[in-house]
Amino acid sequence: MAKRSPIGRRSFLRRGLFFGGAVVAAPHLIPASALGAGNAIAPSERIVMAGFGIGNRGGYDLGCFLNEPDARFVAICDVRKSRREQVKKMIDGKYKNNDCVMYRDYREMLARTDIDACLIATGPNWHAPATMATVKAGKDCYCEKPCTKNIVDSLRLAETVQRTGRVFQGGMQRRNLSHFAYAVNLVHSGRLGKLQSVHAQPRGMKTYMSGWPKGSAPEPPKEVEDWDLWLGPAAWRPYSKGGMRSAFNFEKGGGLVGGGVLEWGSHCVDICQWANKADLSEPIIYNPPGNKEITAEYANGVKLVIRDHGWMKSGSCPVRFEGTEGWVETGDSGDIYVSDPALLKDRGTKSRGYPANNHIRDFLNCVKTRGLPRANHFVTCHTHIACNAANIALFLKRKLKLDPKTYRFIDDDEANRFRSEALREPLRL
Amino acid sequence: MNATRSISLMLATVVLAALLLPYGRACAAEDETKLIAILTSNAPKAEKAITCKKLAIWGTKASVPALAALLPDKELHSWARIALEGMPDPAADDALRAAAGKLQGRLLIGAINSIGERRDEKAIGILIEKLKDKDAGVVSAAGWALGRIGGPKAAQALTEFLPKAPADACATVAEGCLLCADRFAAEGKKDEAIKIYELIRKANVNKQRTIEAIRGLILAKGDAGIPLLLEQVKSEDRQHRGIGLRVARELPGSKATEALMAELKNMKPQQQAFLLMALADRGDRKALPVLLNAIENGPKEAGFAAMNVMEKIGDASCLPVLAKIATSGEQTQAKAAKVALVRLLAEDVNPAIVAALPKASGKIRGLYLELVGLRRVEAAVPELCKYLSDPDAGVRLAAIKGVGAIGDGKQVPDLVAALKKTQDAKERTALESALSGTASRGGPACAAPLRELAKSDDSGLRSIALHALSCAGGPEALKTVKAALDDKDPAVQDEAARTLSTWPNQWPEDASIVEPLLTLAKQGKKETHKILALRGYLQYLRGNKKLSNDDRLAKLNDVVPLAKRPDEKRLICSVLSTIPQGAALEKLTAYAADAAIAQEACLGIVDLCKRRDLKGASKDVRKKALTIAAQKLKNRRAQKDAQGMLKGLK
Repeated sequence: MAKRSPIGRRSFLRRGLFFGGAVVAAPHLIPASALGAGNAIAPSERIVMAGFGIGNRGGYDLGCFLNEPDARFVAICDVRKSRREQVKKMIDGKYKNNDCVMYRDYREMLARTDIDACLIATGPNWHAPATMATVKAGKDCYCEKPCTKNIVDSLRLAETVQRTGRVFQGGMQRRNLSHFAYAVNLVHSGRLGKLQSVHAQPRGMKTYMSGWPKGSAPEPPKEVEDWDLWLGPAAWRPYSKGGMRSAFNFEKGGGLVGGGVLEWGSHCVDICQWANKADLSEPIIYNPPGNKEITAEYANGVKLVIRDHGWMKSGSCPVRFEGTEGWVETGDSGDIYVSDPALLKDRGTKSRGYPANNHIRDFLNCVKTRGLPRANHFVTCHTHIACNAANIALFLKRKLKLDPKTYRFIDDDEANRFRSEALREPLRL
Repeated sequence: MNATRSISLMLATVVLAALLLPYGRACAAEDETKLIAILTSNAPKAEKAITCKKLAIWGTKASVPALAALLPDKELHSWARIALEGMPDPAADDALRAAAGKLQGRLLIGAINSIGERRDEKAIGILIEKLKDKDAGVVSAAGWALGRIGGPKAAQALTEFLPKAPADACATVAEGCLLCADRFAAEGKKDEAIKIYELIRKANVNKQRTIEAIRGLILAKGDAGIPLLLEQVKSEDRQHRGIGLRVARELPGSKATEALMAELKNMKPQQQAFLLMALADRGDRKALPVLLNAIENGPKEAGFAAMNVMEKIGDASCLPVLAKIATSGEQTQAKAAKVALVRLLAEDVNPAIVAALPKASGKIRGLYLELVGLRRVEAAVPELCKYLSDPDAGVRLAAIKGVGAIGDGKQVPDLVAALKKTQDAKERTALESALSGTASRGGPACAAPLRELAKSDDSGLRSIALHALSCAGGPEALKTVKAALDDKDPAVQDEAARTLSTWPNQWPEDASIVEPLLTLAKQGKKETHKILALRGYLQYLRGNKKLSNDDRLAKLNDVVPLAKRPDEKRLICSVLSTIPQGAALEKLTAYAADAAIAQEACLGIVDLCKRRDLKGASKDVRKKALTIAAQKLKNRRAQKDAQGMLKGLK
């Protein structure tokens, strides 16, 4: 893969200054009019979009997209008829028409040549294959996290997005939130001294292996619920009505070591990667879990501590960065805790929560400019490799060393078996 | 509705448990012989499926026959492939090749996909045969797998087959060709790669594959690919233009930069904006003049785009242009220019700003002073201080803000001196803010000039001194603020009381404030002082984690009689709710009888009763407290919690 591309790296790796809250947070200081997104937008300038498996989280994302005047949703794809109709109603209601076309089979939707970009918000099981299919079909892609299930998925995603020349944004929206940007900038500006450790919350430190539900109900007609498409890349199981309604966790992280660090780690580890200027790399040593923590080590000596305990009242998705001269901790509460109150001098207005508006705007801007959004395919790739590798250490309960050139574990064939998993036919990456 | 949702949630949890098996214990390799025995037995498919997963981790050559036997089973095929695809032993390749000779339709596609993932060169012949299959899905899989394997033989087969590939398989066969070409390019075999890219570009394939081939072609050709790159960048077609802008960021070399710069003048304003962004992403400073020209002379869109990306390649040479726009441009432009100035990364920018300061005047000097603060040029703080007494009010204000942003205790005397010289309210406010910042960074060591300021004849200055002293902290500062409770000016007395009640130095661990607060709460001259002090003291009781529960309760009991108003009683409830003791629960129960604070008291009861470490609270005490809470609470969730706990007690 072209992972060492100069694009992205330059803008990420040089930093010696400290900018106040408003400046660091803004991903799009350029006025909308300069990007062709003013109040009056010609239909030909609109970004024509389609939705892919829009559920609870996807409904939120969709709402953000619908508020952007230069995005226009024309199609929705879902394996469940009730969901298709529900999302169509939301889209048509916004545009006050009946134009949104519903698809059961994503391949039919992706065959449309008028669609520029897709929002993928299926269960995590489908994220990587849907992304691959979307970019190979010549469409840009905003995909919810976790975006991949294993290391090879992550590498292949970056490689394919780069080869196809498409724009990709992973749903790690905290990359575009001011309090996280502020905390990261405290590190980059050197105000915390030399960075020693970065801390991330995984929200769950258990790994899972795939199961097989009892086929308790007859499989409904495909038009109502398409079980085959719902399973997608996951190995075959008999129809399960309840299973279909718990897609959020189904085969998350792959059936081999699902769950674990991936769920929240794809957010928190991502911010830690950013703080450590590791957007194009990841830790190379993963220690076995101990004291309810996993500690990984970057090549530059910085430690990544993944833990669920010991956080301040910083809300969900907390991160903490410790340097030789100070520390900072923040999370979705919007509060920023620091070792020295003077570190908060430039903070600006407090923001809270984890809205995706900025992140979605960042994506739409890049669809037009063809630049790299903040959670682009390289960023997504390396964050997910870190999370997947931590999961493997969690599962095997032993120290792992990752070769940063081959992305294989050194002298550990067993660990290497977790790097990928066969997709159910006919899917491939 | 809620009940339905709860049932759904429970059902989903149960199902999830069936779909995912937790692995809490350490995993050791399982006995492969036993696992193979399961696969060859009449065990249910569910058991065989999970066994395949285990063999994906621990299986060896010995497992291959049993796994291969499952490949024709449409329900277990995918499970068996998970094990075979991940197995390092070549026996897995043999099994997959054998299966490819027997299977058909979807199962054949699965086997071919695994062959492709494993990059089994021995399978090239079989895959070439499969290109002739009647099933377009099989042809696609074979085309993709050949591409994954790569090399001259696979490439030749694919490129020969591409023109005659069935329509349904054409895009994937072209993808296979691209994968071969990419691999050649990565291995340095540029000529082989270029031949394939050219072939795809001219072939009748879907547009996306053409676009990908164009990207590959430009990158493989290097400088020779520049004309094709320019063709894309100025194309009327959105997709071609799009790939042009992407490759404009990827293709290295100054010739490409120059060619793209030269193309700018022929483009429409919006396209100019996009190309300027791409040029900046290249990181080649050669492009700087065109960015500056766009800011000064270009269309509005291009100017904004250039300012937005200036940080990526901009240096000190950009200062005059950006400063001019920042100080005299239209409001939106001025803002964009200022942000660009703050974000400039080059190392020569800060020294250039400092060097430019003495020569600059008016708004430009004010801007540079502000930039020193915003960019945190700490080495320039002494220089900033020179402008604290500048005749130009705007310059003075900018200097004050700059010192406040990055100065420390060493600048406190300068700021105090400036404060003494001005009567202007705006300037005083700015100086107060700057003093707070510098004093908090300087700590107790910088308090001396502030203590002097606290003796000023000007009561306004005395109040400012108190605020700054609270930021500096330390026993001497505290002594001065305490003394100000007896100031001749009642307004300063009030400020002293307010400052003490919110003493921010390492609060709530700064225990030195406790005694003065308690004394003031009990013996303050004014009622407002007593209230402020009590509130501060209660915050200390609630926030100080070093206090034991017994101490906290004892200290609280000591001040309970001082709380006369509902506001303070509410704070007492809040403290009580952090003390997991029966006595605290009983006090909250008593407070619940007071209508003005009943809600806070009842919320405290619920909080305490939830705690597992609640001690000394008999069942009857809890029951009484929760009964009252359940009756009085207006918050439905808390009320439900109270009712639930009450039910548990019965």
